[in-house]
Amino acid sequence: MLRFDRRLVQHFDWIVLLWVTLIATMCLMNLYSAVYPNTPPGTPVYIKQLYFFIMGMALILAIISVDYRIFMSCNYPIYIAVCLLLLYALYLGKTQADTQRWINLGFFNLQPSEPAKLMLVITLASFYSRKDTGKGFTLKELAVPIALTGVPFLLILKQPDLGTALMLGFIFVSMTLFVKLKWQTLSILLGVCMSFIPIAWEFLLKPYQRQRIETFLNPESDPLKSGYHIMQSKIAVGSGQFFGKGYLEGTQGHLDFLPERHTDFAFSIWAEEFGFFGSVMFLTVYFFLILWGLNSAVSSRDKFGTLLSIGVVSLVFWQAFINLAMVMGMLPVVGMPLPLFSYGGSSLMTTLAGIGILISVRMRRYQVPG
Amino acid sequence: MQRQRRKLEKINKIDEEELLVLKKRVDTATAIIIILVAVLIARLWFLQIKKGDEYSRLSENNRIRVQKTQAPRGNILDRHGRIIVTNRPYFNLVWTKEDAPDPDEVIKRLSKIVNEDISTLLTRIREATGRPRYLPILLKEDIDWPTLVYIENHHFELPGVRVEAVSSRDYLYENLASHLIGYIGEISKKELQDPEHSNYEGGDPIGKMGVEKVFENDLRGEKGHRYLEVDVLGFEQQELQAQDPLPGRDLQLTLDIDLQRKAEDALEELAGAVVAMDVNTGKILTLASSPPMQLKEFIGGISFKAWNEHLEDPLYPLFDKTIQGQYPPASTYKIVTALAGLAENIITPQTLFYCTGSIRLHGRRYGCWKHAGHGAISLQRALAESCDVYFYQVGQKLGVDKLAAYARNLGLGIKTGIDLENEKAGLVPTSLWKKQKKNEGWQEGETLSTAIGQGFNLATPLQICRLTAALVNGGKLFKPQIVESIKDPDGPIVKKFEPEIVGEIYGSEKDRQLIMSGLVAAVQSKHGTATKAKLDNVTVGGKTGTAQVVRMKKFRSIPEDKLPRKYRDHAWFTCYAPTENPEIAVTVLIEHGGHGGSAAAPIAKIVLEEYFKEK
Repeated sequence: MLRFDRRLVQHFDWIVLLWVTLIATMCLMNLYSAVYPNTPPGTPVYIKQLYFFIMGMALILAIISVDYRIFMSCNYPIYIAVCLLLLYALYLGKTQADTQRWINLGFFNLQPSEPAKLMLVITLASFYSRKDTGKGFTLKELAVPIALTGVPFLLILKQPDLGTALMLGFIFVSMTLFVKLKWQTLSILLGVCMSFIPIAWEFLLKPYQRQRIETFLNPESDPLKSGYHIMQSKIAVGSGQFFGKGYLEGTQGHLDFLPERHTDFAFSIWAEEFGFFGSVMFLTVYFFLILWGLNSAVSSRDKFGTLLSIGVVSLVFWQAFINLAMVMGMLPVVGMPLPLFSYGGSSLMTTLAGIGILISVRMRRYQVPG
Repeated sequence: MQRQRRKLEKINKIDEEELLVLKKRVDTATAIIIILVAVLIARLWFLQIKKGDEYSRLSENNRIRVQKTQAPRGNILDRHGRIIVTNRPYFNLVWTKEDAPDPDEVIKRLSKIVNEDISTLLTRIREATGRPRYLPILLKEDIDWPTLVYIENHHFELPGVRVEAVSSRDYLYENLASHLIGYIGEISKKELQDPEHSNYEGGDPIGKMGVEKVFENDLRGEKGHRYLEVDVLGFEQQELQAQDPLPGRDLQLTLDIDLQRKAEDALEELAGAVVAMDVNTGKILTLASSPPMQLKEFIGGISFKAWNEHLEDPLYPLFDKTIQGQYPPASTYKIVTALAGLAENIITPQTLFYCTGSIRLHGRRYGCWKHAGHGAISLQRALAESCDVYFYQVGQKLGVDKLAAYARNLGLGIKTGIDLENEKAGLVPTSLWKKQKKNEGWQEGETLSTAIGQGFNLATPLQICRLTAALVNGGKLFKPQIVESIKDPDGPIVKKFEPEIVGEIYGSEKDRQLIMSGLVAAVQSKHGTATKAKLDNVTVGGKTGTAQVVRMKKFRSIPEDKLPRKYRDHAWFTCYAPTENPEIAVTVLIEHGGHGGSAAAPIAKIVLEEYFKEK
């Protein structure tokens, strides 16, 4: 048993908790608007999301009550367990719209690709912190982390879930660059990635995924599917103008013009109803939380804590950036939630678990490692 | 000890240093994040401030809505390209609650216009309670032209009433080949969950039976889309862009409409099946099961009541007797016994058996249909006059398992593989089968029954027809083919189906010729059992069969037509023509029709007459 240290409570990061609550409130408000006034039968999504928030808070409590270094000692069991879950979802899971992503847990459908993101952060952080990183990595030394990323990456790509698979790639690249690469290694890796793109395009991407990218590059070519989404999302965001149309007054969202408006496109409703003013306010609050997360990286007493924090921050940041850029029509539609803001239990719980890790690292900054 | 501690300190020091280096990089990360957020804010500014007016106008005035347009389903054609099934608009009468909250007055008027009970119309409205008020409720399907015109002209007196046009199947020959064609219906919840149907949506039509189901992917085509500009209330302003639906492909069947119609007319009022096959290709020219299904009832969904009525009909109209009906093949099976006997050298054309009208085995009497007996009889006469005693003895010498091997080789006891669902395999009994199924040893007496196609034997009319074709085409067992080709709506053939040989039958050409001469004698000779199938211009060879339904003695003495229908025998006839150079095989089965020669052979004759009339 770990001994209880009073300093832990003293150093608890109340600001993060406050900020998460603030974002959660905005999220629930926005979800209420997204399904207003024709709420589909059954428990409304904002109530379900509220439950997920409460469960997530309990999860944070559980995570901060143990030393985060425990994740380092059991990173491989976690890794294997999540890979098995991915395999299970792929072959025995629930099919929805032609993709194998879900495991039915009775009360909700678990999407194991979400915890897989966090699992990868833990795995890479433990791997890199065990290595001497002073001189930078060579290609050979990178073989193991590449393989560790590759397995879940391929499993998720097979589902197929391009967005999440790409996310794993982003996490890998962000964390690896952070611990530094040798210059030559970096250029070789870049070269390989570039040559990989046409192969992936031809063999790994499903037709609908390809189409999403194609329509992004030329939105007028297929205004029906992804082009339609992008166009409608841009109309929604743009029509918000400076002060927005007012809460519950948005028309694009409510008249069913916007697809997936409570999940991936949640922000477009916000932008339509609160305009530039409200959107900038939202972005300020949102990215303040992310920058605050970097504090944990700076204040950590050990490499593992720093790398873990960097991983969690990059996980949340890249998802948020890609989602927002997609909603604003700057990137193709790839199925990427806005963490803490889009509806979805698996994503929310994963993000909150990540925040729990950040709090845990920061709380223990005065404890001597080992 | 000392050295180790120093080493540890060194590692710790490196760790400390590295940690400091890493922490410095956090500044870089912060910078990256701030820059990218600035990009997002710049984009927001561009969309909401710079282009805000434009997007605002788009959202206020130009609301784009996507509407789906159903693709016209492919036509179904006969072998000569004549259309059997196509599409046509059906005008349905609908009523929308939102537009007229009080239905009573309107319904009263409508009931006179469409000549329907008020209660029937009200029931439809009542059944739809709980649905959103803006969704139209179907009051009457397929109203005729004058009614349509009247309703359109009295539009203002009938608030909430509208005529909706939907495209659905038009059966130009009514119920022609109904079981083979099948029907379409709205996709069910269960079907929607199937990953195979991921490109369907609720409300889409889908083939539910027959070729409509089997060739669904070719027939359905692809939905089109219309981009509509709608106003704030959702009303259509103008069409912005449209992507036309891709019509489904046409299905050209191997069926011949004329032949199929003749067969179905001949089967009217009867329960039975007619199969006609091109012997040299295995192409099905006729596949008729009677009574037919009432295809029109399935348009827009068959009512529960009608469905139940059909289910309870003693003539089983929902049941495709050509491929799902399994009957004892009776004397048509003697073809199998004869081929096995010849190929195994148990009999020669000269072999004579003596028929006294019955044979005794282990103290039991096995009778010939001709109680007086046929006397000394050879193979040819035994086939022509269908002598049971002759084949009892051949069967006894062969044994049941050898007989079964020949039966399977001729395609009995296995599915023919026709491209239709729910085909039955029939049954070829063996001693092993009986042991496994009934846990009893095989009795020799059962071999006798098997040899004349009674006992446990079961076969479908399609199997018997294919067997006949294989006997006369040089021994080739074909997969029965029902689709000639799949064509694009503008003509070019997308896929052509070729005859497929799935087996070669045992025995020599000489053996087959000997049996064929027996079959010719059955039709053409004076004492043959099938003289009613004789044609003026073409010689026909055939075999009758009369399948016992009950064995009870008390019915034996009663004349067939006095017996209750359900106890009467099934009548079989299978034949081919012309005998010199066979082209077509026809098999007829009449449930409870009585004797093969009198009930089934005349129907085969009608089909053959039609076939050779064209020539």
